[in-house]
Amino acid sequence: MDRRKFLQTAGIVSGTVFMGSCGSERDQNKLISYLVPPEDGVTPGKALWYATTCTECTAGCGAMVRVREGRPVKIEGIPEHPVSRGGLCMRGQSSLWRLYHPERIKTPLLRQEGGFLEISWEEALGRIRENLDVARSEGRRSVYLAGRTTGSLSEMIDLFGETAGVERLPEFEYFSHAALRRSYGALFGREEIPHFPIDEADVLLTVGADLLETFLSPVDFAARYSEAVSRENFRWFHAEPHMSLTGANAHRRLILKPGGEAALLAHLLRTSASGGRKPPRAVLDSLPELSPQDAADATGLGEKSLRELTEAWAGAKRPMVIAGGVSVGQRGGEAVSLLAGLLQGMHGWADFSRAENYGNVGNANDLAKLSDRLATGGIGVIFISRTNPVYHAPDDLHLSARLRQPDLAVGFADLPDETTRELDLILPVSHTYESWGDTEPRRGIRTLIRPAVQPLYDTRSEGGILLELAGKGESYRDWLFSRWSGRFGEKALGEFASRGYLVEEAPGEKAQFDPADAIDVLKRIDFAQTAGPGLWITPSIRAFDGRSRPLKLLSEVPDPLTTISYGRWVSVPEADAKRLKIRDGEEVRLSSGDWSVELPARIQPGLLKGRFTVHREHLHRAPFGIDPDTGEFIVRLDGPRVEKTGVKRPLAVLAGSTSRQGRGIIPDPVHREAKKEEVHARLYPEHEHPEYRWAMAVDLRRCIGCGACAAACYVENNVPVTGQKDHLKGREMSWLRIEPYYRDDGAVEFVPMLCQHCHFAPCEPVCPVYAAYHNPQGLNVQVYNRCVGTRYCSNNCPYKVRRFNWWPHKAEEPLRRMHNPDVPVRARGVMEKCTFCIQRIRAAGDAAKDEGRKIRDGEVMPACAQSCPTSAIVFGNLKDLEAKVTRLSKADRAYRIFDVLGTESSVYYLKGQE
Amino acid sequence: MNKTDPIEARERFESDVLSVMGRPGFRYFAALGFCAFLVTLGFGLWGWQIFRGVGVAGISHPVGWGVYITNFVFWVGIAHSGTLISAVLFLFRAKFRTSFNRAAEAMTVFALMVAGLFPLIHLGRVWIFYYLLPYPNQRLLWPNFRSPLIWDVFAVTTYMIVSLVFFYVGMIPDLAVARRRLKGFASRIFAILSLGWNGSLGQWRHYNKLYIFLAAFATPLVASVHSIVSWDFAVSIVPGWHTTIFAPYFVAGAILSGTAMVITLVWPMQRILKLENYITTDHFEAIAKILLLTSLIVSYSYIVETGFAFYGEHPFEAEQFRYRSFGDYAVLYWVMIFCNSLLPLTLFVRRLRRSLPYLFVLSLLVNVGMWIERFVIIVNSLARDYDPYAWGTYTPSPVEIGITLMSFGLFFLLYLIFLKVLPILSITELKEHHG
Repeated sequence: MDRRKFLQTAGIVSGTVFMGSCGSERDQNKLISYLVPPEDGVTPGKALWYATTCTECTAGCGAMVRVREGRPVKIEGIPEHPVSRGGLCMRGQSSLWRLYHPERIKTPLLRQEGGFLEISWEEALGRIRENLDVARSEGRRSVYLAGRTTGSLSEMIDLFGETAGVERLPEFEYFSHAALRRSYGALFGREEIPHFPIDEADVLLTVGADLLETFLSPVDFAARYSEAVSRENFRWFHAEPHMSLTGANAHRRLILKPGGEAALLAHLLRTSASGGRKPPRAVLDSLPELSPQDAADATGLGEKSLRELTEAWAGAKRPMVIAGGVSVGQRGGEAVSLLAGLLQGMHGWADFSRAENYGNVGNANDLAKLSDRLATGGIGVIFISRTNPVYHAPDDLHLSARLRQPDLAVGFADLPDETTRELDLILPVSHTYESWGDTEPRRGIRTLIRPAVQPLYDTRSEGGILLELAGKGESYRDWLFSRWSGRFGEKALGEFASRGYLVEEAPGEKAQFDPADAIDVLKRIDFAQTAGPGLWITPSIRAFDGRSRPLKLLSEVPDPLTTISYGRWVSVPEADAKRLKIRDGEEVRLSSGDWSVELPARIQPGLLKGRFTVHREHLHRAPFGIDPDTGEFIVRLDGPRVEKTGVKRPLAVLAGSTSRQGRGIIPDPVHREAKKEEVHARLYPEHEHPEYRWAMAVDLRRCIGCGACAAACYVENNVPVTGQKDHLKGREMSWLRIEPYYRDDGAVEFVPMLCQHCHFAPCEPVCPVYAAYHNPQGLNVQVYNRCVGTRYCSNNCPYKVRRFNWWPHKAEEPLRRMHNPDVPVRARGVMEKCTFCIQRIRAAGDAAKDEGRKIRDGEVMPACAQSCPTSAIVFGNLKDLEAKVTRLSKADRAYRIFDVLGTESSVYYLKGQE
Repeated sequence: MNKTDPIEARERFESDVLSVMGRPGFRYFAALGFCAFLVTLGFGLWGWQIFRGVGVAGISHPVGWGVYITNFVFWVGIAHSGTLISAVLFLFRAKFRTSFNRAAEAMTVFALMVAGLFPLIHLGRVWIFYYLLPYPNQRLLWPNFRSPLIWDVFAVTTYMIVSLVFFYVGMIPDLAVARRRLKGFASRIFAILSLGWNGSLGQWRHYNKLYIFLAAFATPLVASVHSIVSWDFAVSIVPGWHTTIFAPYFVAGAILSGTAMVITLVWPMQRILKLENYITTDHFEAIAKILLLTSLIVSYSYIVETGFAFYGEHPFEAEQFRYRSFGDYAVLYWVMIFCNSLLPLTLFVRRLRRSLPYLFVLSLLVNVGMWIERFVIIVNSLARDYDPYAWGTYTPSPVEIGITLMSFGLFFLLYLIFLKVLPILSITELKEHHG
């Protein structure tokens, strides 16, 4: 090498090294730098868990946020949580969709001509202060309307109201349970709702109360139902005029005449008088006489059913009644809730020590008052937070127009909705998983809200905004911590922070039972029922009161009773479908007066003739008005006109058939002896399972068909959400589905269907490339990289649980951040299916290997089992003779679906009730 | 046939057959252009499907196989009678085959080329189709020899190779004739293709041995290929597929559709190319008799299959056949019964059997019927198998219809090209039998 060459080379080398070293770690735009140790505790591949509270509804279930590489990827229930007891519903499982929703409001927005302008926080808060000052000086009141608020935030709102001179209005909830609270006020002097431990009752009668869908605390009810139903002596009657998921799960569904609730409860009061527990004399005297014959007529149940109920009731040690839902959302709902309250008082169930905390919640009449105040122009600034009154208010309140009246209408919101559209200023609030706080869903039960991630956008928590508007210098977090340590003490605070909840001592006071105030109402009870057709607005397990509609996952997971995923529909009784000659997807017009709605029909078994139902989220506004006595929304329309329009609208019904077709999917009865005799000839040698053979047991008695497992599976396994178009073609991707099977009498049994991981799997031998393969742990695994997409495995699967990627499914930004990094995202053209959450099995296996032991029973919990509010799903190793799943697989009730085919599946079903 | 002057007759055979290869007219180019258009369209749609995903097809859950596999089975079936006519009839010394065998062999090869596309088209990830082949690789992974789809790969490729060799070997003496009689560039091409054939006695001795050996070798393939194709279905556990009668049933069906396709192709060929002297009504009648026989076998299979379901006390199987006859696709089922079972019965009437236009129309309908048969078997069985929740239906999408049209376009395109570049009748066999 000559001198020139040497200098050239040296120059290039040193220059390259120098250039390459420029810049800093910070600019490299890498999520995790592997050169510099992470400061924020992010270890690649290691998950962090934060205990917080789910706020998709206000029940206050405990939620653990699983954070990977700084991103929340999964929500799971907190085991032993006093509210939710370890499970979550499908709304809870979907709550991350709100966090990562592409339409999140990212900065403060100011109304302008023809749209909203993005402004800064300083400007937004400045405008609010200015308008508050102007309003105060000109003598106009400023008001604060929130959704149900409990815990420290409620104190914060009060504090803000005091300092800024803002009047706090009664809170607005669609499910305000106003009638119930009113009756408890009349009977016990407490306008609260007692806590109902249904597992402590031996006979439970629910009247309209949709325990498993939206009523008070559905996950808690589901967990307690699961406890109760495993006892032999528990009987559950559910009385309702229509058909609900709750009714489908009760032992006995009593189909009432519309308006027959009061008669049923009054009859029960009278007949229970003959037993040991007597209602007060005055009450009995005030009730009109009802002979069993009259009662049977008035309730529409028939004497036999009625006698069955009254006898069970009389023979019960601790019978419980709960009224609610559609039964109080009608004229005369007050009487229904009063009678139920009387029965509860008699049987000692009116325990307010853990009352549901609805103290700040008003009713729909309050909304009407607000509307009037808005119209008269006496309001300066209105704040609206976490509630959507415009969506729920009846048309005659003209709320959306009147919200333009005040000087400034301010909303706190995470997603745009009907209400934010009418506001002047929208303040983007952080999601619960981005903020600090707490709730007190029941008296003395505090649940923690803590951030699992830095706010994704320029958002703030509601408490923080109020604190700043109140002019306090500290951060909301510091303010909270000082309040908490003052209230609980340092030791309890540590426990609160780590477990995510704190149960305070229950106040010992007993509520005084005094029916005197109720007598007046009882005397006025009108046992009038209507026998004609009716339309009910029913609460929906998927959207609550409509607030969870924007979460697409909740449209992807079908409604349990109809198996419809996307779209709106009206449920039509079989009898009317026959009369009107309509089939699924044909449009009907329901009308009454000048109100009408056109919806495609879905024929619903179990509905009596003339009874139509439509989910709350499928109707805008409250078309049937408000009950002035109680302030409840009326959910029943009497005598609607029903016509066929002749239009056909495709409806995404996922079930091909909801009849068992005599195929032994739920055998009756289970023939254990007969099964043993069957010997199948085997062409190929048996698989060997040296250590583990994973299996699952699903208790159909506990399964309520709520679909939480399906939602959990979507999030855990990065299952693509495909949308309406693909659902109409039968291309949903769910690995786990709930199959409802209707009997001729309208009773429903739910069967969770997932890959059965057959020992002799039909999918395996037909795959030409060994993509479907049986692993030594008994799992039927799908090797995505190997799959060429012949779809033969799916054709040959008798359970039809394999799902093909028809498209390259790309999740929208920022929803992609929810992807679980432990699970690959499948390419187009490959088959996928349930893996029994193999990533969790692997993780547990690794941990066990490090400690030199085998995986313990219960250590691996697939996402579906974890989320199940009723613990219906048990997972474990069949090779472990002590394992719970092994025990259950040998139970008398155990059977396997399509056992006759010799697939020897690894999912055992335990037959439910007859 | 004029037998007075053998030399003149031979001369006429040669010139008649080779004159077909003359300059094509406008109508030929129009037909060629139309077929080429369909092919371009179809391949474009396939490209679109690869680009967007298999979702552009109508197949979904639970019907994972639809028109694509229907086409595959249909074209493999068409391919069948070629071997039957040339190999089996050769072994049986059925002289009438002479008029058809070249056309039938060409049909076999082209139908197989078309059929071979469909397993590729229906793959989710066609770009790794070679995973289906047993090639040596560092991961020591082999295909799954338990899978009928792998048997398919071997069956179809074997059949393809044997058919091609048989087609080519049978043509060598004729290629030499073409070399001799044609001029210029064509002559040079045929010189290479005819492999130095000079018609010496020694060559003929070897040639005849090879030909009869190849015929013997190809004959079992008539049974084996379509048996294996039928096992794609019969080996599964799907009600309506899982039955032991499938192998003979499919073979008979294949021959039925193949003979129908021979009639469909040869009658216009005879009319347009003026080959009445060589392909006579007697020949068509012989083919029609085969068609009738196989139709009877197929009808028998329909009856047996339904009988199994009726007497089987197997709720899944029973529901499947109830669904076929009265369900969503019942119309297709009854059209199938009409075309494949009832209509061919008219061939018992001699006058109809010898009416060429009638035979032509019948052959078209049998083709339709046989295509529908495969559709009925594939789609109905998948639409209603075990789990009632997962029942569903299937409607072909425009992409699938376009690709199906492409398959017909491609087949006729290849056939049209064949007419103009190769001798369409076996000149040497004509000489042998008629000279």
